[in-house]
Amino acid sequence: MKDLTTASAAMTARAEHPVRFLGPRRLFEAFEDVFDEESFFLIVSVFIGIFSGLAVVCFRIAIDWTHLALLGPLPPVHSWRILVVPSTVGLGVAILVVHVFPAIRGSGVNQTKAALYIFNGFIPFRTAIGKFLCAALAIGSGQSLGPEDPSLQIGASLASALGRRLKLSREKLRLMAPVGAAAGLAAAFNAPISAVLFVIEEVIGRWSAGILGSVVLSAVASVVVERWFLGSEPIFRIPVTAFKRPSELLAYLVLGIVGGVAAVIFAKAIGFLRPRLKAMPRWTQYFQPAIAGLLIGLIGYFGFPQVMGAGYDYMDQAMHGQYVWQLLATLAALKIVATTLSFVSGTPGGMFAPALFVGAMLGGAVGGVERYLFPHLVGSTGTYALVGMGVLFAGFLRAPMTSVFMVLEVSGNYEIIVPVIVANTFAYLVSRSLEPIPIFDLLTRQDGLVLPSLEEEREEAILRVEDAVLPAPAIILSAADYIDAAARRIENSTQTLFPVRLQPSGWGAITREQIERRFKEGKGEHTIGSLISAQPLPSLYPDLPLESALRFVQNCPIVPVVNRANPQKLEGIVTSQSVFAKYAPPRRD
Amino acid sequence: MTKFLHKIFPRSAILVLVLLTLAAVVGFAVVGHLVTRYNANQQARGRRLYAQGLADLNSGNPNQALEELRAALSCDPNNGQYELSLGRALRDTGRLDEAESYLESLWQRTPEDGTINLALARVAARRGSINDALRYYHNAMYGIWASDVDGNRRKAQTELIEFLLQKNALAEARSELVSLAAWLPPDPVLQLRTAELMLQAHDYGDALAEYERVLRLDHGNAVALAGAGQTAYRAGSYRTAQRYLQAAVSANATDANLRDLLASTNTILRTNPFARRISDAERNRRLAAAFDAAGQRLTNCAQQRGISLTTVKPAASSLSAPPGSAPSLVSLESRWLAIKPDLRRLRYEEENDLPDVIMDLVFSIEQQTALDCGAPQDLNHALLMIARNPDTADE
Repeated sequence: MKDLTTASAAMTARAEHPVRFLGPRRLFEAFEDVFDEESFFLIVSVFIGIFSGLAVVCFRIAIDWTHLALLGPLPPVHSWRILVVPSTVGLGVAILVVHVFPAIRGSGVNQTKAALYIFNGFIPFRTAIGKFLCAALAIGSGQSLGPEDPSLQIGASLASALGRRLKLSREKLRLMAPVGAAAGLAAAFNAPISAVLFVIEEVIGRWSAGILGSVVLSAVASVVVERWFLGSEPIFRIPVTAFKRPSELLAYLVLGIVGGVAAVIFAKAIGFLRPRLKAMPRWTQYFQPAIAGLLIGLIGYFGFPQVMGAGYDYMDQAMHGQYVWQLLATLAALKIVATTLSFVSGTPGGMFAPALFVGAMLGGAVGGVERYLFPHLVGSTGTYALVGMGVLFAGFLRAPMTSVFMVLEVSGNYEIIVPVIVANTFAYLVSRSLEPIPIFDLLTRQDGLVLPSLEEEREEAILRVEDAVLPAPAIILSAADYIDAAARRIENSTQTLFPVRLQPSGWGAITREQIERRFKEGKGEHTIGSLISAQPLPSLYPDLPLESALRFVQNCPIVPVVNRANPQKLEGIVTSQSVFAKYAPPRRD
Repeated sequence: MTKFLHKIFPRSAILVLVLLTLAAVVGFAVVGHLVTRYNANQQARGRRLYAQGLADLNSGNPNQALEELRAALSCDPNNGQYELSLGRALRDTGRLDEAESYLESLWQRTPEDGTINLALARVAARRGSINDALRYYHNAMYGIWASDVDGNRRKAQTELIEFLLQKNALAEARSELVSLAAWLPPDPVLQLRTAELMLQAHDYGDALAEYERVLRLDHGNAVALAGAGQTAYRAGSYRTAQRYLQAAVSANATDANLRDLLASTNTILRTNPFARRISDAERNRRLAAAFDAAGQRLTNCAQQRGISLTTVKPAASSLSAPPGSAPSLVSLESRWLAIKPDLRRLRYEEENDLPDVIMDLVFSIEQQTALDCGAPQDLNHALLMIARNPDTADE
């Protein structure tokens, strides 16, 4: 793909030579001409989506097969198998992770971010293989983890490998991992919009036509592939959901608060245990997943096999009102324990599905309690379970926009948007106020990486032009003013530089010295406009980021700040001093 | 291969796209094969689990069935049969909320489906919710059925009627029965069942008509004869009952209940003082026998209850009981004693209301003693039955 990076040179060269072939070959050559790297990248994004979709389909089948082979089709409660399988497989997975696939430990989201910001888009292909194999074994054996994060990483890894193989430019190669991540996540959730939003919100952190186009194309392609093979049904069968009385919002608000607190407990448990387990001697890493598996098996053995694995079937059952609220609350608590154990032990797998599981159970439980206390107030358990999923997504994964769209996309029901927004917003605010560091950032810091925190960037105060603006000078001249009149106007002023309103629009500037010299030369009957250079001064608007002023203040003595509705009205000026003063560190005294 | 492609498509971008397309095609083929096998395995597993689940459900092990049906459904999530069976298992395990919520989610997808509506109706019936049951049963009756539309609709309506009878909603049950009978095919089995339900709903006229319709198709149908006899007996049409019961006993001489019912009918007809086409002497004899039997019944019942009846001569005002009040045994005895001396007037006074007064007292005694001392026997039973339907007893 050498000529792809020098596409324009190749096109020029081709243009110099006459076309010798007619027919299909010429057609292909003409087709070739339309490719620059940007277009090629978009087309490759579609292929990334296709390959990621295929990989995720295989991954899901692998998890199912593993589960059936190891645990059987029915939950083996009170059976020795439920204790032996997760612990034995955990040991095997630990050996693979330590010796063969060390890079698969940790969050796929963070590894994709690291690829984007640190490793120039590089994720080893081995990571995809390792993640596929080990996560399928771990989840299939009952470890309390989900397939979405591994799917995301498999997609990112495939995309990175393809980008390297195609020798794309560094800029494009960096973006390959997020594009693949969106494809993997979209196929895992069967929800392209949520995947695109998540990658934009949590991985890339910025919107641009090129990035968005690639991410959307890959996500859509992967979902099409996934639906082609596994059907278009969502991962859950959605129950009848409705929001009829505005007073019910209070009940959803309570759910948001409870969900926010649960999310913080979940995140703090992981944040507390993970570095301690990582700090233990290396040989313990072989046994950590096994012990986690044994403890989770014990939970299953004593009657709660629902917490094992990803738990989609049980979320479905909870949404269809098949559990009472006491059991739902117990399952939510046990799932937090089980997932914490699995994740901190270094077992490969994701936290999306567990977060959704906890949310569904918690939502159902809160709905059940509220229905018990206020029988005529609240909606169905299924509605609460569905909203609860979004609540944990917002509170635990700290992706508020994605959480709203995910619930809408998964449910296909626009009617519950208001409860979802209310509950998710409260969960996010509660979670953020109790634990300022999002879980992904926490994991990144524990791993010793310094990646941009997109939540912090979102929350960061932005300096704007209005913060550095100085008041408009007292004397503002017009291009139509005569020099002698202007000289008389400025005679008693101490101002040395005068903004000039140009005709028909724009602004310029003139110095006292220029006006006085021309006046002394006897050119008082000339206009000020004749002294101004043809190039008007650049102007700024008050709401623009202050960075935009930096480009102009070096070369212009003043930069006019004008009103957006009336550019002839001067709001003030910025100078290099006023701008740089805003960037100066605050003085200690 | 790559060299060959390079020769055909010298530009690398095209080559890359061709290779990627080939890889995608190969990937689709491989994954397609994998998914086909996976789906086949899943469906086979689903069928196996479903069969196990049904077996457990039918053998009274609904909890195990529930797990198996859930697993079957996770193998084949869109299988309507599995879904309905899971709903049934939830219902049978007493998880009515879950069953209802689950079936409602199915209902949302296909609200016109007769099977789902019938399942929901059964859950509502189990809950005892008449309004919901009526709604879902009606939906099932007018919903879409994959096969045997009339049969399934009839089945749904029959279930609804049984539920209404169970809930003692007799008026609603009678209205459903009228509608059911209107489109009933000429099938004795269905007609007999309908007539039986009409009988339970106390719709004796329609029940008798239904039995007679069966008898027009099958003159010697023993069940219909017995049913018609019982219906006429309950309706108080003892002459009609006698006719059908005699035929029923002839057709099925071993049925003791029928024989007893026939004997009771014969007694009623033999002792009814209001019977037409009997002589005055016979009427007087029947009145006297009824009066004596009632007096004896009163005495026995008082003894049984430990009440000592007074022998004080009653006041003239006690000849008739105050309207709307349940007479006590003592007051009944007072009335009985008051009338007794007048009994001989029956022979001489043709135009008086004494027979009505006597029978009014007899009926009061029989009804009150039936309440206080249980069901009477023989002549007292016959008098009680006449008391219930004095106007139709001879029909």
